[in-house]
Amino acid sequence: MVTLNVNGVRHEVQAPGDTPLLYVLRNDLQLIGPQFGCGLAQCGACSVLVDGKESRSCVTSISDVANHEIVTLEGLPDRWAKQKGLSAEQAKNTLHPVQQAWIEEQTPQCGFCQNGMMIKATELLESNPNPSLAQIKDAFTNSGPSPNLCRCGTYLAIIQAVQNAATIMAKGR
Amino acid sequence: MATMSERPTNSVGPTLSRRQFVKAGGALFVGFGLVGPQILKGAAEKTSSLKNSLDPTLGSSWIEIHADNTVLIRTGKSDFGQGSTFTAYRQIVAEELSVPFDAITTVIAGHTDRTPDGSGAFDFLGHGTPNIRKAAAYTYQALLDLGSEKLKVPKDKLSVQDGVISGGGKSISYGDLVKNQELKLTIPVKGDLTSIFGLTIDGDPPMKPVSQYKIIGKSFKNSVTSSKVAAKETWATDVRLPGMLHARVVHPKTLGSTLISAGKVDKAKFPNSQVIVKGNLVGVVAPNEWEAIQAAEQVAAETKWTAWKGLPGNAKLYKHLREEADWTTAPVQKSDASKGDVGPVLAAATKKHSATYQLSYMKHAPIGPTMALADVKSDGMVHIYTHNQNPQALRGEIAMMLGTTPDHVIVHSYPGPGHYGRSNGGNAGAEDEAVLLSQAVGKPVRVQWMRSDDMQWSTQAAAAYSDVQIGLDDKGKMTAYQIDHYMPAMQDDRPIGAVLAGLPTMSAPQVKSDSVTSTVNGIEDPWVYKPIANVIENGHGTFQVGQKDSPLAVGLRDHSMRTPGQFQQNYPRELAISEAAALAGADALQYRIDHLSEERAIGVLKAVRDASGWDTRPSPRRDAAANGSDPLRGRGVSLMLRSGTYWACACHIAVTPSTGKVVVEKYTIAVDPGIIVNPAQLKRQVEGGAVMGVSHALFEEVMFDESGITTDDWTSYPIPTMADVPEIKVVLIDNVKVGAYGGGSEAANALAAPATAAALHDATGKVMRRLPMKPAYVLDFLKT
Repeated sequence: MVTLNVNGVRHEVQAPGDTPLLYVLRNDLQLIGPQFGCGLAQCGACSVLVDGKESRSCVTSISDVANHEIVTLEGLPDRWAKQKGLSAEQAKNTLHPVQQAWIEEQTPQCGFCQNGMMIKATELLESNPNPSLAQIKDAFTNSGPSPNLCRCGTYLAIIQAVQNAATIMAKGR
Repeated sequence: MATMSERPTNSVGPTLSRRQFVKAGGALFVGFGLVGPQILKGAAEKTSSLKNSLDPTLGSSWIEIHADNTVLIRTGKSDFGQGSTFTAYRQIVAEELSVPFDAITTVIAGHTDRTPDGSGAFDFLGHGTPNIRKAAAYTYQALLDLGSEKLKVPKDKLSVQDGVISGGGKSISYGDLVKNQELKLTIPVKGDLTSIFGLTIDGDPPMKPVSQYKIIGKSFKNSVTSSKVAAKETWATDVRLPGMLHARVVHPKTLGSTLISAGKVDKAKFPNSQVIVKGNLVGVVAPNEWEAIQAAEQVAAETKWTAWKGLPGNAKLYKHLREEADWTTAPVQKSDASKGDVGPVLAAATKKHSATYQLSYMKHAPIGPTMALADVKSDGMVHIYTHNQNPQALRGEIAMMLGTTPDHVIVHSYPGPGHYGRSNGGNAGAEDEAVLLSQAVGKPVRVQWMRSDDMQWSTQAAAAYSDVQIGLDDKGKMTAYQIDHYMPAMQDDRPIGAVLAGLPTMSAPQVKSDSVTSTVNGIEDPWVYKPIANVIENGHGTFQVGQKDSPLAVGLRDHSMRTPGQFQQNYPRELAISEAAALAGADALQYRIDHLSEERAIGVLKAVRDASGWDTRPSPRRDAAANGSDPLRGRGVSLMLRSGTYWACACHIAVTPSTGKVVVEKYTIAVDPGIIVNPAQLKRQVEGGAVMGVSHALFEEVMFDESGITTDDWTSYPIPTMADVPEIKVVLIDNVKVGAYGGGSEAANALAAPATAAALHDATGKVMRRLPMKPAYVLDFLKT
């Protein structure tokens, strides 16, 4: 049994410790934001935040992240609400600025990779609230275990959404 | 019992009948069609003709008008990632009905038991829209008839705004018009539901004049984006059924291997796993996904297959196609644009360009490997939960595999990763494999292909080569053009799981095919340079590579991928035209304009010239060089006509000769589709297509040895990263006078390769006539 702390909730998980986090999130905890893309940490579709750092849940054993703070796409609104001290009522109707920007910019085409893109954007903006174009490109290409890949080629829309999210976060709404 | 009166009313050819309902057992029937609250949730549509299908002749199978003034639409086309069913389709219906965009609250897409028409997710705004648009137009006429009767005002004296019919000082909303009634609108349809093209609505109902458009042309947001971004959308990957087993498939060792013996599960390690064998199909199922994955790996290591070496290997691909492939069995296809007397004019030409162009195999390579969940019930009913390009055609394929009829198969459609082609038109395997495994274990089975399964066992975009000859007169004008395209069959519709299991499928590609699966290579790239007097375009086709020798009859299976066939034909044409311009000492963009008569083709080229900062001059540039470690710059142009849409692009590149690395720095693309339905969505689609174009030009090549495909992950089959994205400029030309909606993003991907190759020539003075232009190849090439 492994204890996982996901989106602020503790879960006692009945699964072998070598089980990749992705399968536990999707099949046991019904957290479907992370997607299976490659199982090889080569694309980023499965990304989650572990202690604020973008991690590939397809190759992360649950025993390695027991008692660490795991946040999935589903947990981004709460994360933002806590950071901004929003009331529970406000929080319920608020998406994370990254999610707001993704909708505003109509970033996804198919959207399958965008879970990882939004996780990467959140990681980036939490450490660098106003990244330059070069810093955005560097983050999505070089900072993770692999570049975050998008088959639909939405990279330009992602860049614009990251810039949009930075603006929203600066305004604090 | 409800009491009703029924009388038919004519409405532009189709018939409208009405049954007046009063209270029926406490329930009040409302709306247009059999509409109750449960149907608003999409739960209980009526079926009639084919069991588990909607009756396509009923207007309400396509469009429902509800008493609360909301509208529901249904389309058999599954959204393939670009969201057109949730943006453009809603806009088109709202426009024809004269209701607000937001009045269309429900879009049901791709479920075979809940949508009427079928067909694939291709050419959304061309081939795709006539059905939903005609359904809306017929419905609108029926509503006008009802309004005329109700208001006692002649139909031609009525006007409609925001779903309210007005005339003679009176008005009534659509909702009030249909309230408390069941209305039956019959519309004419033709076609075969489970064929690739599905059903089409017949007749020519009056359409709203383009000059009165209010909704088309505006940038509405995609309603599904919000739920995907908030992790609230149910993807195909998310569907779970009670008692469901997870499965992985152990695919054969090579593309021609047959099974000698399947490995056994190590029950000590994997107590709940089970091996299923059907012919050459080997699957491993388990209640727990991680156990299924590990058990499948263990079983795969112990499964024995026959050896097979029937492929040329990618290094010898071109030689194989040129010297060994059978190009004589399939009849040569000559294009309709062929004219004049090419031979003598070429012979007499002042200057002549003659060259061969080669393209590699490419993968669809969706970010998520193909997957499906199937539930074969004890009564023989088959339910499939999937993301599929053509759910009705899949229904037919699964029925054929099982020896049953399509009414025993229901395909439930969900969002999935973009495939940009028909790699998941039923042939990729997850659906048929899931059905066969579910049938074997008597439980729902979810098959998830791993990355390597998708890379090695899905279909690819066909490799090709073309021979081009162009004759120029003494003024440099093109007077004769001949192109001979050679490409293996590009559409293999056979579900691979059915093939492996030895069950019935459509035929393997053959000369006379019972489907679109054919070895015949038609001309897919519409001719645009009409002032050239003498033209021959020939298409030469053959079998898929390895198909004839493989005991499985599979070989390198191909299927259509974004601009299928046309990419393979447009790349050689457009690069050759740039070379002809160079031979004539002319600017490649102006040279094209000088050989065009179609205003829209000239328009996109001029738009690209203006937007890209194109410097008008001949190529190569004066200081072109093929050596050194400093980046050299060049620019190239290309042109395409697809589905009534004109496209041009300019690529500005940098190439470093010492490394062979080519970078597209600026990508300028202009599109004239006719009427632009949704500018913001089109722009996003074109941007994405542009990035895929860079990928085709610089990155993508399926590598294979004599036995199978060796590129099995994102390292061996790279695609662009964010760092590879150029500055992208998109110019949208809203050409309303064309009066039609053209193609959307498809083609944006095809333009980059010839423009980038021309830019490489501009920078280096050398023409590389082979894709992709990856560093190792460019380096070798520049040394020659």
